[in-house]
Amino acid sequence: MTDTLLTLVPGSTRDRAGNVTMSLGKGAPKRLVACALDEVGYVVGNITADGYLTLRRVGAPPQPLFDQQLEGQRVTVFAARGAVPGVGAVRSTHLTRGRIGSGTPDPVFTVDNAYVDVGAASAAEARALAIDVLAPVSLAKRPHLYGDRLLAAPAAGRRATCAALAAALQAKPAVRGSVVAAFTVRSLYTTTGLQAVQRLQGPFDQALVMGGVRGARGGGAAADTLVLATRYTDTAVETVSLKDADALAQRLVAWMEAR
Amino acid sequence: MRALGLGVLGTLLLRASLCGQDNPRVAEAQTVLAQLVETYGVSGAEGHVRDAVKRLLPAWAQTETDTAGNLWVRVGKGDPVVVFVAHLDEIGFTVTNIRDDGALELQTRGGFFGSLFEAQPALVHTDKGDVPGVFMPRDSGATRHTPPPLRVDVGTTSRAATLARGVSPGTTVTMPKQFVRLAGTRATGRSFDDRVGCTAQLLALRHLDRAALKHQVVFVFSTREEIGLEGAQGAAAALGTAPRRVHAIDTFVSADSPLELVNFAAAPIGQGAVARALDNSAITPPAYVDSLVQVARARGVKLQIGTTNGGNDGSVFTPYGVVDVALGWPLRYSHSPAEVVDLRDVVSLADMIQAVAETW
Repeated sequence: MTDTLLTLVPGSTRDRAGNVTMSLGKGAPKRLVACALDEVGYVVGNITADGYLTLRRVGAPPQPLFDQQLEGQRVTVFAARGAVPGVGAVRSTHLTRGRIGSGTPDPVFTVDNAYVDVGAASAAEARALAIDVLAPVSLAKRPHLYGDRLLAAPAAGRRATCAALAAALQAKPAVRGSVVAAFTVRSLYTTTGLQAVQRLQGPFDQALVMGGVRGARGGGAAADTLVLATRYTDTAVETVSLKDADALAQRLVAWMEAR
Repeated sequence: MRALGLGVLGTLLLRASLCGQDNPRVAEAQTVLAQLVETYGVSGAEGHVRDAVKRLLPAWAQTETDTAGNLWVRVGKGDPVVVFVAHLDEIGFTVTNIRDDGALELQTRGGFFGSLFEAQPALVHTDKGDVPGVFMPRDSGATRHTPPPLRVDVGTTSRAATLARGVSPGTTVTMPKQFVRLAGTRATGRSFDDRVGCTAQLLALRHLDRAALKHQVVFVFSTREEIGLEGAQGAAAALGTAPRRVHAIDTFVSADSPLELVNFAAAPIGQGAVARALDNSAITPPAYVDSLVQVARARGVKLQIGTTNGGNDGSVFTPYGVVDVALGWPLRYSHSPAEVVDLRDVVSLADMIQAVAETW
């Protein structure tokens, strides 16, 4: 994500916390606009002798069925040498027949039952793909357009919000005073990337924090927040309107120009 | 430029480490299978898959399509007739109603866990082309694994707007699918059941020594298997008592997974084709299993023997006195969007079909 942003937003830099920031203009007022880059996901917790990956979730599940979305779906393992495709194991429909009756408990699938199959037949084969404990794992992302410019994908709201901020920066706004635009890391933890931006580049006279970022303060005063509307939130088909994202980019330009 | 160069090199190294260099048979199996897997055909709407099979047949093959939609290829002459049958269709949905808010109500076609489609992208296969949408997540009942009946949102807000996109009751619905290679010779996708069976029949036909045939062999690509072996019933009725044997070429649902009990269906992937000696619809007489093993040994083809669940198209031939000697390949995660196969098993299955046709 940060590598992509550094390419998309010429002049942006990565700070020591991993945030991508860009400073525009000079002098007062000094303002901050930020969006969160991260998402709830998984890392490899262990590799079994027969080559399956078990998982540890990073971040609290935002809804009770969050982990169930792994079951029987494509995932991506971000190994040391690049992305490795895999699938979340699921019981075969045929083999459950006769075992599950109408009164049988029907518990939700959780990460504790997740096994990722990358096609490896042994732990050594998995490690030969440069997969090891702590490698990040997410649902395979294939953005899906439908209806009138609706876009469905995991974490589409967060991504569209940051895309709107990137688009606003690409528009080269005539900033009043100075603005620090920050694409922040670790929003899901108590110690956030946003706090690092505030300490490294603050204090700010005003802040606009987009999405549900913890510690959303502008280095003194509480920040204004702005949320892009989503449908089917926190699912694999979280949906945003690209029209709304375009409008958000224009609104951000206006905010930076203090119009 | 340097970074780009390293990126390309990294990608190439990763691909090499994932797949290695395929042998020509595995490469051929992938070429055929990928095309079939990426074609859509819910039970009762198999036309595109049937067309794809026709395109992939050897040039000499003459085809017929019967009134049930089954595709037939007849090779050789004389008795006893031997039949191979693999099914064209896949699980999915049909639209039963369009609600006032534009959303689609659905009926399942075939058996599967609804949770695997919930909150996933959808494709509505209309006469005008595919209309994208999403399978709507449930809005209550989040303490249960099983969702309520699924609906699809195509991004409209009225019945009229949905109808204007060409969607109507009876239209079939699936989710987007893609053939993707995993490590080694393994691959994932949806509808390997039974596009692998179709692929194996196509590969066998391509490599068949027609001069070696001692009797007529009929290859059937059947319809509507997932909703009750309906196409095969038509083929069986048409052939009556003429065939000696039928070989259903269909999935061997394998327990080769950390989530399954291994008290049966224990055929590991990558270990070859499987004699599907017992399932919920048929049992192969032991003497025929023995003969199958002899054919495999004589040709040096890897063959496992197992028992599993599910039904097969060959079972509807048995009332006519035809012996069902079902063959399959081991599949993980059946009827899910992430089925997993080993391409070497596809090659073994094709080799078994060819060997049986030519020598038994």
